[in-house]
Amino acid sequence: MSNVLRRIEIPIILTIIATLLQVIPYYINIPVINDTANTVNLWVLLVVAWATFIGPLSLMQVHGKAVQKRGKGWYFSVVVLAATIIMSIAGLPIAEVGLGTTNAVYQWLFTYGQTPLSGTMYGIIAFFITSAAYRAFRAKNIEATLVLVAGLAMVMYNAPVFTASWPGFRIIGQWIYDVPNMATNRAVTIGAALGAIALAVRTLMGIERGYLRGGSD
Amino acid sequence: MASILIANRMFGFVCLLAIMLAVAYFIRRAQGGNVPKVRRIPGIDAMDEAIGRAVEMGRPVVASHGIANLRDSTTGPQTIAGLSVLSYVAKKCAEVSTRLIVPVRQPEVWPIAADVVETAYKMAGKGEEYQQSDIMFLSTEQFGFSSNYIGLLMREKPGANIMIGAYWAESMQLAETGSRVGAMQISGTAQTSQIPFFLVSTDYCLIGEEIYAAGAYLTNEAPLIASLAGQDFGRMIAVILGLIGALLTTALTAAGNPLLTVMSW
Repeated sequence: MSNVLRRIEIPIILTIIATLLQVIPYYINIPVINDTANTVNLWVLLVVAWATFIGPLSLMQVHGKAVQKRGKGWYFSVVVLAATIIMSIAGLPIAEVGLGTTNAVYQWLFTYGQTPLSGTMYGIIAFFITSAAYRAFRAKNIEATLVLVAGLAMVMYNAPVFTASWPGFRIIGQWIYDVPNMATNRAVTIGAALGAIALAVRTLMGIERGYLRGGSD
Repeated sequence: MASILIANRMFGFVCLLAIMLAVAYFIRRAQGGNVPKVRRIPGIDAMDEAIGRAVEMGRPVVASHGIANLRDSTTGPQTIAGLSVLSYVAKKCAEVSTRLIVPVRQPEVWPIAADVVETAYKMAGKGEEYQQSDIMFLSTEQFGFSSNYIGLLMREKPGANIMIGAYWAESMQLAETGSRVGAMQISGTAQTSQIPFFLVSTDYCLIGEEIYAAGAYLTNEAPLIASLAGQDFGRMIAVILGLIGALLTTALTAAGNPLLTVMSW
């Protein structure tokens, strides 16, 4: 029995059924299929909710091992473990004992820990962009020169000091944004959609198995 | 009949069916031995080089399948494409006994990534070298994930950093850090807003549809490669509709444009 359950055809069949249940109701109105799709969507929510526990378990395994080994920077792992445990317990939805998202400890960690840290990480993108731009904006060949010129034009289009001194920067920037940028964007989007359709066909035919046990039978 | 077919979606449905049938046709044709020629994609060809470089340097390989889940209709397929690439990378790493680290953001994708890597090591006869702790769940928070990933790159200093999947604002942070630690980087995404970041910061970048082709291309199986030729049929439809639409829109007003009327079915 266990060998039957481990056959690769089972996940393939489940994938095909799940795919068809999502695609058919979008185009064709068949109440039975619509209802089934809605039910399956609820199952998905349940599966995802249970999968949530897998993340912290992996986290505990990785950082627990790091603390145990006392390797380089092991104390950072202590911080991760402590924050995970405290946040998980404080955020448990048991309002009767004062736990949940309104809990003072949870609120404090969220407001003074997570929010500023996320904001900082988002903010440092500016520095990464600067260092990347320094390396990328070099006129090594025709293509790189085109990128350099277009990039500079867009910088000037977005900086009021330039558009205020010469309105032409606005017209040039807008043209680059609306014409070559839009054309490229649409080409990539259409190509990606076609690629996704081909992937879907391969999956529906059961020949795309890379995401299943490394494609093995 | 009218109640069964959903209004305004029939034209898209017909196009979808036509493209799917074209892809299926080319797959069937390839199963009969007629395999179309597919252009080389440098970024995919460079996978072996990147892994080989990591081996020579005695450093690990980091392979990420993006930060999206499997449920979203636009980004889910990118995760599947990333997992297909991961499957190949894991196989290669197992063959040459190199440590493979897989950073994961979505808990629901973690078991799949772990299964893909574990199977690859077992298939290579090196099941004992598989380390479950190297399939690392980092954080469901976008920037929690990226800061963790950055720290991982700085600590482990990988020889290769392969990122194929859906990425958002963290793409630049990851690619730039990978560049700083001297990793050979191969990236790929269908997120149009992130492609420029990957292009400037990584050695090779797979653009849009190339990430979906990667899995098929790497397996080198005729039916999978043939499916890529089927996409050309869809591309032809897109070009023809684009041209007709541009001509008719130029010549006629929207109200009197027959193409727009057909497309609204």
